Amino acid sequence: MSIQNLNTFDPFADAIKGADDDVQDGLVHIRIQQRNGRKTLTTVQGLSSEYDLKKIVRSCKKEFACNGTVIEHPEYGEVLQLQGDQRENICQWLTKAGLAKPDQLKVHGF
Amino acid sequence: MDAEDGFDPTLLKKKKKKKTFDLDAALGLDDGSRKEEPKEDAPLDSGAADLEDNLDLESFGKKKKKKKKPFNLDELEGALPSAKEGEEEESNAAVLEEPEDDDINLDMDFSKDKKKKKSKKKDLDELFADKDEEDKSENKENVDDNSSSWAGTDRDYTYDELLKRVFEIILDKNPDMAAGRKPKFVMRPPQVLRVGTKKTSFANFMDIAKTLHRLPKHLLDFLLAELGTSGSMDGNQQLIIKGRFQPKQIENVLRRYIKEYVTCHTCRSPETILQKDTRLFFLQCESCGSRCSVASIKSGFQAVTGKRAAIRAKTT
Repeated sequence: MSIQNLNTFDPFADAIKGADDDVQDGLVHIRIQQRNGRKTLTTVQGLSSEYDLKKIVRSCKKEFACNGTVIEHPEYGEVLQLQGDQRENICQWLTKAGLAKPDQLKVHGF
Repeated sequence: MDAEDGFDPTLLKKKKKKKTFDLDAALGLDDGSRKEEPKEDAPLDSGAADLEDNLDLESFGKKKKKKKKPFNLDELEGALPSAKEGEEEESNAAVLEEPEDDDINLDMDFSKDKKKKKSKKKDLDELFADKDEEDKSENKENVDDNSSSWAGTDRDYTYDELLKRVFEIILDKNPDMAAGRKPKFVMRPPQVLRVGTKKTSFANFMDIAKTLHRLPKHLLDFLLAELGTSGSMDGNQQLIIKGRFQPKQIENVLRRYIKEYVTCHTCRSPETILQKDTRLFFLQCESCGSRCSVASIKSGFQAVTGKRAAIRAKTT
């Protein structure tokens, strides 16, 4: 058993983490929207514009066997849009590809 | 908060489980947490009892000496003393941990201990299969002992006795915890009905907003932003949401709302006030006095799901 008070605590850990993040405002929002019937859309907002979103979407489409596009939004920048509920898939994919860390992903929806 | 909400696909399952446990207790939606406690205790007792016999048989005179010795020496002498030592440490650790932790963590610790115990127990069983049978007869006598029977004697206390003792102390010091061990935060499940084919009605929305002590508008904003739809209150105070939603889905979103905007981030008590201060929301805890800012509700990017022609007609 370790004594918690004696552990060294790095007060700048958060600052260091924030400096090298790959996304604007630190979070990638993954949302789901209902369409007609039982169809859904998954949107991924907040990926850094340094990445080529077109290539990302091309790879995602192949991987998840769904369609998808990149949408230009004046406020939110480029947003990835995939057909169907791809929340789990996209989370795994983003972490595996190293585009975002697990604690930078924020999943919305039910 | 952000770090906690971060999504790790591999970690998610575990995290969710823990979260649901906490929130279930907080919500009082189901009695899972209440049922779990006795369940956890029972195997723990038996496991501990089995072990403590081995400990008792060996430990009367020579225990102190054994403990000083290095581990591999013990192994040479036989597995029993080493196992005993491990068990000793565990019991010590458990006792040390318990008073500090709050009740939710207590449960976690128990399950952890239980697992360790189980594995230890298996090894012991394999090694001392014959011995265990003798032990079991004595086992019953030991269990019957009350918690402070070792106080006067010079024999070593057993894990069970220490466990009982620490619970007695906890209950003595915190009489308010005695009843349920947790100040429960009881909430009724959301009543969600389908209205037609495309809309969902959330009938007891106002009740839930009231039990959470939150403005209905704030809860409404959160729900609609999370679900990515539109909706409004209708004449008899129920919420009509566009889209099809199951009660379970609404419940999940409510859980997230409670975690983010109702329970205190420091002490997890639900007695909090949400204040708006210079465009930022602050969560002020009534029981521990902590105050922290919470994320503002943003609906973010909304994809076009309706008919584009209709939208175009509206704007022009």
